[in-house]
Amino acid sequence: MRTLLRRFAIYLFTAWTTITVNFILPRLMPGDPIQQLIGKLQGRVTPEMIKAIKAQFGQGLNQSMWTQYVHYINQLLHGDLGISITLSSPVSDVLSSQIWWTVGLIGVGAVVSFFIGTALGVLFGWTRGSRADAVIPAATFLQSVPYYFLGTILIMIFAATLHWFPLMGAYDPSLSPEWSWTYIASVLRYGELPLTSIVLSSLAGWMLGMRNMMVTTMSEDFVLMAVAKGLSRRRVMWHAARNAVLPSVANLALTIGLLVSGSLLVEQIFNYPGVGNLLVNAVGNEDYPLLQGIFLLITFTVLGANFLADALYYVLDPRTRTAAVH
Amino acid sequence: MKALRIPRSPKVIVGLVILSVFIVLTVIGPWIAPYDPNANTFIPNLTPSWEHWFGTTTLGQDVLSQLLVGCRVTMVVGFIAGLVATLISIAVGLAAGYIGGRTDEGLSLLANVFLAIPGLPLLIVINSYLPAGSQANPLVVGLVIALTGWAWGARVLRAQTMSLRDRDFVEASRIIGEKRWRIMWSEIGPNLLPIIAASLLFTILYAVGVYSTLAFLGLTNVSTWNWGTMMYWAQSNNAALANEWWWLAPPGVAIALVGTSLALINFGIDEFINPRLRAAGLTARQRRRVGLTRRPRLGFTPVLRQSPTDAKKVS
Amino acid sequence: MSSSDTHLVLQVSNFSVDYGYADEAVRAVTDVSFSLGRSRVLGVAGESGSGKSTLVYGLTRLLRAPGVISAGDVTLRLSGAREGETIDLLAASEDELRAIRWSEISIVMQSALNALNPLHKIGKEFDEVLRVHDASLSKPQRRERAEELLALVGLQPDRLQRYPHELSGGQRQRVMIALALALRPQLVIMDEPTTALDVVTQREIVSELHDLRERLGFALIFITHDLSLLVELADEIMVMYAGRIVERAPALDLYRAPRHPYTLGLMESFPPLTGERVAMTGIPGSPPNLKTPPAGCPFNPRCAHAHDRCLSEMPPLSDIGDGGRSVACWLHDPASPLEVPVSLSRPGESTPGGVK
Ligand SMILES: Nc1ncnc2c1ncn2[C@@H]1O[C@H](COP(=O)(O)OP(=O)(O)OP(=O)(O)O)[C@@H](O)[C@H]1O
Ligand SMILES: [Mg+2]
Repeated sequence: MRTLLRRFAIYLFTAWTTITVNFILPRLMPGDPIQQLIGKLQGRVTPEMIKAIKAQFGQGLNQSMWTQYVHYINQLLHGDLGISITLSSPVSDVLSSQIWWTVGLIGVGAVVSFFIGTALGVLFGWTRGSRADAVIPAATFLQSVPYYFLGTILIMIFAATLHWFPLMGAYDPSLSPEWSWTYIASVLRYGELPLTSIVLSSLAGWMLGMRNMMVTTMSEDFVLMAVAKGLSRRRVMWHAARNAVLPSVANLALTIGLLVSGSLLVEQIFNYPGVGNLLVNAVGNEDYPLLQGIFLLITFTVLGANFLADALYYVLDPRTRTAAVH
Repeated sequence: MKALRIPRSPKVIVGLVILSVFIVLTVIGPWIAPYDPNANTFIPNLTPSWEHWFGTTTLGQDVLSQLLVGCRVTMVVGFIAGLVATLISIAVGLAAGYIGGRTDEGLSLLANVFLAIPGLPLLIVINSYLPAGSQANPLVVGLVIALTGWAWGARVLRAQTMSLRDRDFVEASRIIGEKRWRIMWSEIGPNLLPIIAASLLFTILYAVGVYSTLAFLGLTNVSTWNWGTMMYWAQSNNAALANEWWWLAPPGVAIALVGTSLALINFGIDEFINPRLRAAGLTARQRRRVGLTRRPRLGFTPVLRQSPTDAKKVS
Repeated sequence: MSSSDTHLVLQVSNFSVDYGYADEAVRAVTDVSFSLGRSRVLGVAGESGSGKSTLVYGLTRLLRAPGVISAGDVTLRLSGAREGETIDLLAASEDELRAIRWSEISIVMQSALNALNPLHKIGKEFDEVLRVHDASLSKPQRRERAEELLALVGLQPDRLQRYPHELSGGQRQRVMIALALALRPQLVIMDEPTTALDVVTQREIVSELHDLRERLGFALIFITHDLSLLVELADEIMVMYAGRIVERAPALDLYRAPRHPYTLGLMESFPPLTGERVAMTGIPGSPPNLKTPPAGCPFNPRCAHAHDRCLSEMPPLSDIGDGGRSVACWLHDPASPLEVPVSLSRPGESTPGGVK
């Protein structure tokens, strides 16, 4: 339990760091980006808007940094992330309407690729030295293909040329969001290709990592012992796989951030709604309040996922539960 | 002391060959490019031909020239970011692992924080606050990438340093009274070499990927050619919808090949660090030559009676 | 074959094992023959790297790649329902092997910590072997049996709820022994089961094993490099050097009066069981590189008694009379004109404890 609490403390600290960085960056960056932004916005948005932005980034308020900081934290604690410049509505509203798309697509993609990749890794590790080894170079290549490139190629081949899948978007534009079968079916249909591209591009990494772990684990005595006990091959493989998956789970926490970052781009390619798409647009439009809100949201989600992965590891490995070892 | 001798497997050799090709292109790419990558005087949308090996873009530019010119920036940023990140991780990892105590706790916390924060969004945020001039400067972007990419290596190096610290030979030099930094440099350092090499490969891989991603998103200067900006232009001109594969494929495949080569070399390092990963040794053909009918299986040691006189007697 | 063979559990003849294939093969076990009777204990001793583990893992076909069995025959006599049948372990299919594994031959490895699955409670290890080999046992029955087995090695039943890392080294090794006896196999192989333990626990476990063997009647192959441990336990001792058997004799005889210079050196490497302590002289030098073994007797570079013949001819393992003893040493060749040194010719009755 101590280890888990320790991890939790680290994540809390990280969350606080992120918030602080978020606070400091726009105030300390050379060239005063906020000042420049306000200059550009003059006349384009309402004076109230400009006032709101000034307030959020502490422009011309003559408050001490510390007062601003306390104010900022207080706002965050109340779920107030400021107002989006381009969308003219509270960032928290924008995010809460869009996050479900991202969670649905990337969450499902991550889970599916983890499971399939791990299962394949177990198999390829088990059959090490056989013809199946020929997949390794291919998997290595696939692992190195950028997410956005793979997505683009999939669109080109399967949507634009073969017309097997819809080109872009999250659902048929002629439908409006509602709880109906046609709508849900359309969402699923439109989700197929983006999901495939996420799964394909992260699959190989899990697979190769798991294969390595499986090979390493199979040279342990207890696996030979399982054979000596006359267990079936399936059972022996299971003994090895259960142990080999642990480092994969431990790695999960490290990899989630990378995975999420990569997947965010898939939304951009497929013009899929969601946080990734918002992020790219926010950067393009210099919509700093939205950008900051998204960054906090992504970071907090990743921290949460990290903690879940740690907890899972804790459940899976009895050695972590007694403090002596590990 | 272990010297870093990477097993010379076919994988490593292929990796080294691919990487060398790209390193050569990094140096000579801009000189051998057949045309000016910006010149938009060609017939648009040509498929690959003798004049334009990789065809032309919708804007009438030569794809091969863009690829060759873009190679340099991409690779240089990747290598600089990778090197800087690795230097940071060596400093942090060695200090944390060797000194221990408070120093270790502080540095480990720092590394954990950087590991937990998703790198790309952080990078996008930092990048978007950079003054326009710096955004366009590949060097600045490379340094920012290094800042987000050192933590993984530091963590691994710390663990390894800690386990080395307590080994006999280090203990011995401590007792003799060698200076701390000398022990770190001459006793621990060489033993960390394979891990440092692995982490260098990883961070270069990460940096090439992230830099291309930023460029693809149009967050670096879109008029400096690198592989990311090529994709940015392809994407914003809907190359996918128009099925212009010759425009899309070269930069993507180039990034993937650089990544593959680094990963292949890393296989060799992995096998060096963890000998259990070394290939079981026999290809199907070699197996047949030595007379094994199938791959040796766990718990089923093959019986290969060699000379006919050894052949099984009837009992 | 003679009728006394029905008392034999295991018969091994001309058994050889290589590491690597074809030109790169290194012979790690050469031409080993022995047989093991019911309920008998065979001790195998030798320095590190002498091929003890390779021999037993090879016999059971558990040796990992690049290990290859390159010659020989291994016959196991079955018990229980298949009483009277024999199985040729080197010709057996994977399924046939699986059927006899653990129920006829079980094995205890050197490090119990590594041999137990770290994610399984001890109870699960017992439950698994019992369930896989005897589907008729119900869960409570399996549990009861597991408790019985633990009691056999002096452990409390609550240990079933523990994970391997929560037990002490001695407890873990006892668990392994109980596990090895779970299916009442006729042959148990123990590869240095006590090497990782302190001396007191070693002795305890060895004397427990002695009692268990009396009660349960399994045959045992016990590997160690500490000859003194074997005197208590073994009926017969086999000494290995560079993959060959260099001496084989009834335990007490061998201990009292070693015949091979290597055996003598091995005994001097460990303090005697009883009597006053003597300086441990051990054996100078190190075992030969198996890739380039010396010509003649493989022990000749380290042997104080080596002479010309030892440098060119390999001594065969041959019976020297003296109560069923075999030695592979030219000193004991009946045709040899050499005088056998005093330390290697003492009669069986001399005082235990090696040289004075
Ligand atoms: N996988 C392998 N590949 C090549 N040679 C090996 C391999 N495993 C063992 N050997 C060699 O085979 C010989 C016998 O090793 P083995 O493990 O059987 O010795 P041992 O008598 O059990 O020693 P110990 O007392 O240390 O357990 C040694 O010389 C060793 O170097
Ligand atoms: Mg051994």
